[in-house]
Amino acid sequence: MASYSTNEFRSGMKLMIDGDPCAIVENEVVKPGKGQAFNRIKIRNLKTGRVVERTYKSGESVEAADVMDTELQYLYNDGEQWHFMHPETFEQMAADKTAVGDAHLWLKEQDVCTVTLWNGNPLAVTPPNFVVLKVTDTDPGLKGDTSGGGGKPATLETGAVVQVPLFVAIGEDLKIDTRNGKYVSRAKD
Amino acid sequence: MSAPSDNPLWQASASFELIKLRADTLRAIRAFFDTKNVLEVDTPILSHASITDPFIESFQTRYLPLTKKIHTENFYLHTSPEFPMKRLLASGIGSIFQIAKVFRQGEIGHQHNPEFTLLEWYRLDWDHHQLMKEVEQLLSSLLLPYIDLAETHFLSYKHAFINTLGINPHTAQRKELLVCLNQVGLAGVLDENEDKDRYLELLFSHVIEPTLGIAENNKACLCFLYHYPASQASLARLGNDEGQIVAERFEVFINGMELGNGFHELNNAQEQRQRFVQDNKARKKLGYPQVLIDEYFLASVDALSDCAGVAIGIERLLMVMSQSEHIDKVLAFPFERA
Repeated sequence: MASYSTNEFRSGMKLMIDGDPCAIVENEVVKPGKGQAFNRIKIRNLKTGRVVERTYKSGESVEAADVMDTELQYLYNDGEQWHFMHPETFEQMAADKTAVGDAHLWLKEQDVCTVTLWNGNPLAVTPPNFVVLKVTDTDPGLKGDTSGGGGKPATLETGAVVQVPLFVAIGEDLKIDTRNGKYVSRAKD
Repeated sequence: MSAPSDNPLWQASASFELIKLRADTLRAIRAFFDTKNVLEVDTPILSHASITDPFIESFQTRYLPLTKKIHTENFYLHTSPEFPMKRLLASGIGSIFQIAKVFRQGEIGHQHNPEFTLLEWYRLDWDHHQLMKEVEQLLSSLLLPYIDLAETHFLSYKHAFINTLGINPHTAQRKELLVCLNQVGLAGVLDENEDKDRYLELLFSHVIEPTLGIAENNKACLCFLYHYPASQASLARLGNDEGQIVAERFEVFINGMELGNGFHELNNAQEQRQRFVQDNKARKKLGYPQVLIDEYFLASVDALSDCAGVAIGIERLLMVMSQSEHIDKVLAFPFERA
């Protein structure tokens, strides 16, 4: 199994810690003027998203996690699993609820998502930063109000509920920033 | 190949303001020692021998004669100007200071750069308590125009451990230290059969140090920690504190960060040689390279008068003055841009 020495540690590196794949968020050398050096790292557990701290004696090695990101096209949800396809090899892959998490709110068929694989299996799904989704329900808009001041909730085709300006009406396509779940604008075309 | 202007690493990482702060600070330090009749000296960066401390690694290089034959002598880049400065002291020069670029392998991070600047000075006929007072005077005068300082703390290594962890570092046994590491979430970082000092260093660097140099009201203050375990004496002489043999060594901290290290200097060559030999044995056990012992230094040690010395990291000091989180902010060209 591949492993990394503490002197190779850097942000983003994927390690196996307590049997779970984790990513280094921050690496800091703790070295007293005279005395043993340590690497103190902040790591994100890629399964749970929790961030914890760990300390290693400098020079030690830690097992690498076989984690890689792939760009896959979202196909459909069969009620239990979300199905994706590699756009070139057409290889299909299914992700369960744990892997998809909150990303299901932004998954639109045909969109290309980042699917993080651990030992070849989906571990996490990251939607595109911006998605275009249709409004399926919202209160009637106020005619002529384009000020954007104030707002109201709108339900989108994926089931996500976002705050939108008062002028938005049912059937419109909206551009949403998936990183914060916020309305950006009406879709251009 | 991209044009040089496309590579942003050609530019300085420190702002002009902080480059100027360094110049101002060095000028203020020289003025401080001038008023106290402490002489500025200059000693070699390259040396035949080096420090044996197992956890400080020197850069090494080779001397190439004009014939350019490969076989040449090995030289070390100094990790502090301590040995040659003490040789000057032993020859009777009086109190001296130096501002020197020093080099340490592997030390890179938010608070470390492999090449950094030390202010080192020695006071003849002083002990470490007198020197701590002068360090306080100098650092306060340099820091006060930039940050507010609460009253200075003076604390023994023992009391720092008792206050924070409830254990006496001089008498605690391995088992007690392992239980303590477990309680603070540091179980398993070290093996169970390591030297006791490794456990103390881990507890110190992770639990105690982050609390030093921070006053009750969260204001920064200087904190002097003194009387380290005899096993961590390095080049300090041994003394007695409350019936315990301790190293007459101190370190100074601010905002949870170490700024410097000082000794009431050992002037017994036989004891100093034993420590160097001991260090090389420890290195062998750890699989680290052996270091050539500095015989010029050892030959001078018995002639060294009673004195105390200290080394302060200039970049750390500039970080505090400018409230910089990363050492790269106070270096024109840090390691990766050098």
